Amino acid sequence: MSEPLLRAEGLTRHFAVGKLLSRQRLHAVDDVSFEIGRGEIVALVGESGSGKSTIARLLARVYKPTAGEIYFDGRPVSSLRTRRQRLGYSSDVAMVFQDPYSSINPAYRVTHPIERGIVLHRRELARRRRRDEVERSLGEVGLVPAGRVAGKFPHELSGGQRQRVGFAAALAVKPKLIVADEPVSMLDVSIRIGVLNLMSEVREREGVSFLYVTHDVASARYVADRVLVLYAGHLVEEGPIEEVIRRPKHPYTQLLLSAVPDPRAELGVSDAADVGEPPKVIDPQPGCRFRARCPFAIADCETVTPPLRPIGPERFVACHVAVADAEDAALERV
Amino acid sequence: MSLPTVADPLEPAGATVGSGPPEAATRRSVGGDLFRSVLRNKKALVGLGLLLFFVVLAAIPGQIAPDNPRAKVYPPGLGPSSHHLFGTTAYGEDVFSQLVFGTRQSLLIALLVGGLATVIAVVVGVSAGYLGGTTDGILSLITDVILVIPIFPLIIVIAAYERNSGFLTLVVVLGLLGWSYGARQLRSQTLSLRTRDFLEAARVRGERKTYVIVHEILPTMTSLILASFLGAALYAVLFAAGLQFIGLGDPNSQSWGTMLYWAENNEALGAGMPYWAIMPGVCVALLGAAFALMNYAFDEISSPALRLRKLERQGVDADGADIVPARPPDGKNILEVRNLSVAYASEHGPVVAVDDVSFELAKGEFLGVVGESACGKSTLVYAIARLLGAPLAGEITNGQVLFKGQDMVTLSDKQLRLIRWRDYSVVMQSAMNALNPVLTIGAQMRDACEAHSTMSKRQMESRSKEVLRLVSIDPVHLLSYPHQLSGGMRQRAMIAMALLFTPELIVMDEPTSALDVVGQRSLMVQIKELQEQLGFAVVFVTHDMSLVRHFSDRVLVMYAAQVAELGRTRQLFGKPLHPYTQGLLDAYPSIHGAKEQLLGIPGSPPDLLRPPSGCRFAPRCPHVFARCHDEQPRLLEVDGELVRCFLHEQAAEQVEARKEGVA
Repeated sequence: MSEPLLRAEGLTRHFAVGKLLSRQRLHAVDDVSFEIGRGEIVALVGESGSGKSTIARLLARVYKPTAGEIYFDGRPVSSLRTRRQRLGYSSDVAMVFQDPYSSINPAYRVTHPIERGIVLHRRELARRRRRDEVERSLGEVGLVPAGRVAGKFPHELSGGQRQRVGFAAALAVKPKLIVADEPVSMLDVSIRIGVLNLMSEVREREGVSFLYVTHDVASARYVADRVLVLYAGHLVEEGPIEEVIRRPKHPYTQLLLSAVPDPRAELGVSDAADVGEPPKVIDPQPGCRFRARCPFAIADCETVTPPLRPIGPERFVACHVAVADAEDAALERV
Repeated sequence: MSLPTVADPLEPAGATVGSGPPEAATRRSVGGDLFRSVLRNKKALVGLGLLLFFVVLAAIPGQIAPDNPRAKVYPPGLGPSSHHLFGTTAYGEDVFSQLVFGTRQSLLIALLVGGLATVIAVVVGVSAGYLGGTTDGILSLITDVILVIPIFPLIIVIAAYERNSGFLTLVVVLGLLGWSYGARQLRSQTLSLRTRDFLEAARVRGERKTYVIVHEILPTMTSLILASFLGAALYAVLFAAGLQFIGLGDPNSQSWGTMLYWAENNEALGAGMPYWAIMPGVCVALLGAAFALMNYAFDEISSPALRLRKLERQGVDADGADIVPARPPDGKNILEVRNLSVAYASEHGPVVAVDDVSFELAKGEFLGVVGESACGKSTLVYAIARLLGAPLAGEITNGQVLFKGQDMVTLSDKQLRLIRWRDYSVVMQSAMNALNPVLTIGAQMRDACEAHSTMSKRQMESRSKEVLRLVSIDPVHLLSYPHQLSGGMRQRAMIAMALLFTPELIVMDEPTSALDVVGQRSLMVQIKELQEQLGFAVVFVTHDMSLVRHFSDRVLVMYAAQVAELGRTRQLFGKPLHPYTQGLLDAYPSIHGAKEQLLGIPGSPPDLLRPPSGCRFAPRCPHVFARCHDEQPRLLEVDGELVRCFLHEQAAEQVEARKEGVA
């Protein structure tokens, strides 16, 4: 098999918390491995506090991993030493942020981040051509007339338009991967679809891969090919998104699916108030981290961390209780 | 203080690309904004004028002063005359000429010290705030030490040691001691910027640290840096004069402070030369006032809440008021909103954010108010709760809000306090902002109880525990601070506080929008359970139709400040009448059935400063026809629902015909 665009192996990130004398370690991400293919949109799904934004920032090199390695185009990211190498990585992996109201500097026109990206990463472009290139990027994300938008300050654009500027800035550096950290969660429902459609279009047109970080499985299904489900820093389920939605194996995935907002659907039976939340994982003991909220927990879940194991073609789940489809069928026959 | 922001609470309203006010497209760079605001601010103008006056004196003293200030050629101790405006000194020099020539040094000291202190403040403050960690620790310690040093005695000691070393020493000493206040402000501003995504975006882009500091952080702090400069300049003027007055510094230099020194030495006041002593003081005060006035002015300019004009009630007229299906108050309704209009003042004129909205709410009813951002739905509920004070600066320009038969619009603040929280309460969008970060949940509940009731300590405690249990929070969290709770728990704590006095109406403004889907769903289920259990009525504002689908009795859809549709939930979701309602419903990707391509609602809500002349939804409507652009549709009654759309005119006419037939 050819090398995927990005491969994370045993990715781990801990943060020191607490006072100087009672130093504890918050396990934001623990031993997570996954791949992102070329031109693939992978959704990373989980609740607040599950560690999904930490993974996004690990990929964007905002954080350094505590352990594990990210391979980009087969090269380990930790081996980037010189400024030139690191700049190369910044141009390969761009990021779009969650909050369109704080991701553009209010002191500049909205074209500032786009221009800077071009100045840093496409030095061959003559100064005169930069202006055209900026307008071209704005047009590419549907901000037209580009010449007019280019003269605006951030507060003159709506949230949806600012988020498009974010995508334009990411695209301007000609990246191979865009890490989009909850790009629509702060937008009105009515304009979310527009931004999601933009992601699909960009993938079609430029062949860019996406890591789409979200808590909304329905929007993940709308744009993504594959899904990674994260709970309390552990990867708990992985597979093609249609498969996972049709036959969710992990009890947590099932919970996430039951909470999907859909004004046309009737209220599900499983909608009894689940007031649990992902735990803050501080100096953890082994065991499944979902067990406190899990309706199917067994004794093993208290003591043994379930490993991510294959349960079908491209399907993985980290659960002692979940069984593969074939076994499902067998159980039904009994 | 922060960078000048636009005081438009409907911020995205003016954001539609291509449809904003034409002048807004070209004006408004941050610098240009500042300049314009300065011209409009009286304090800034007076301050600037004074400063300019002194700059002219300092630049060309020879042309203005009648004499050489050092020429001891006149009779000493003359009183004021046409030849000697402020008389002469004990040495026979012209006082007026000395004042004019002294300007240069005083002004130079102010500007140089201001500049030096500001440079140090910026370097120290921004580095400390941005780099954090040990650097921050060390720099903050130095800043604090300098801040608490009793500066005047220290300067006296230094100046006495460096006696007669003159002008430059004075500048350096004052500069080195005058930066700490500005540095602290700049540090905290930088700290607050550090979590902003645009700085992280710059790092991800591959920018160097120096670029981030110089080009991303500094430009957002221009007004703060300016304030820091003006503050330091003011301090320099006063301190320099003070030092020279007590004889520290070069007594032979030409400045206001040395004039004071010599005047004092010759007991000018007692010896009939009052102007020799008074006028330098007046000049020091005037130059100081110039800096202080400009500083105040920038404060005002950068916090826009201070400068918004009040709206005239008659400034906005509610013409074309809709006819509301007349239903007399029968005691069943807890809330009746009649022809309510709310407007905000903006630089371009009043912005009508709620335009003639009417509805009623029965006891125990759950009303969902939905619409996009900037459609006026938050303004509507703030107006109902009478929370439109500063910084929102909105005003009710027309209509009534009858709460239990009482018109809330005319209630005084004192009367409002009596019923707010007891009879109705409000749950805000962001619990983190609404809760006080330095008080425990329990303390905040106690405050609320003390302010609104005469409960005993024991009663307060047991009631607080009770309401926390109601929202599934363990009462141990009475001792927790807001930041120790998760987002979902904070929102539930807010709801618990709203329940303290079992009010009859709770107004909720997007209480779940900061939560993710799982938290949202569980909070909604809980609100609904509480409502059924306790029987209060709810006005629930959201942009997310899916939230009200299962929980509200009726839904009010707002678009561009007006009611677009109002109907029973089941009917409205089953057969939406307004194309906007349909659009909101079609915006959800589903996890059921085949994957469909969705479009959402293209475009954004109109600028409420200049709403479209016809139907306000026309520019985005898939069913638009010619008439929609020319004529504003009225609110029609169709199948017991209200809808503002020409598509339903025929059906509405039939309804009316039937009514008339019955009559």
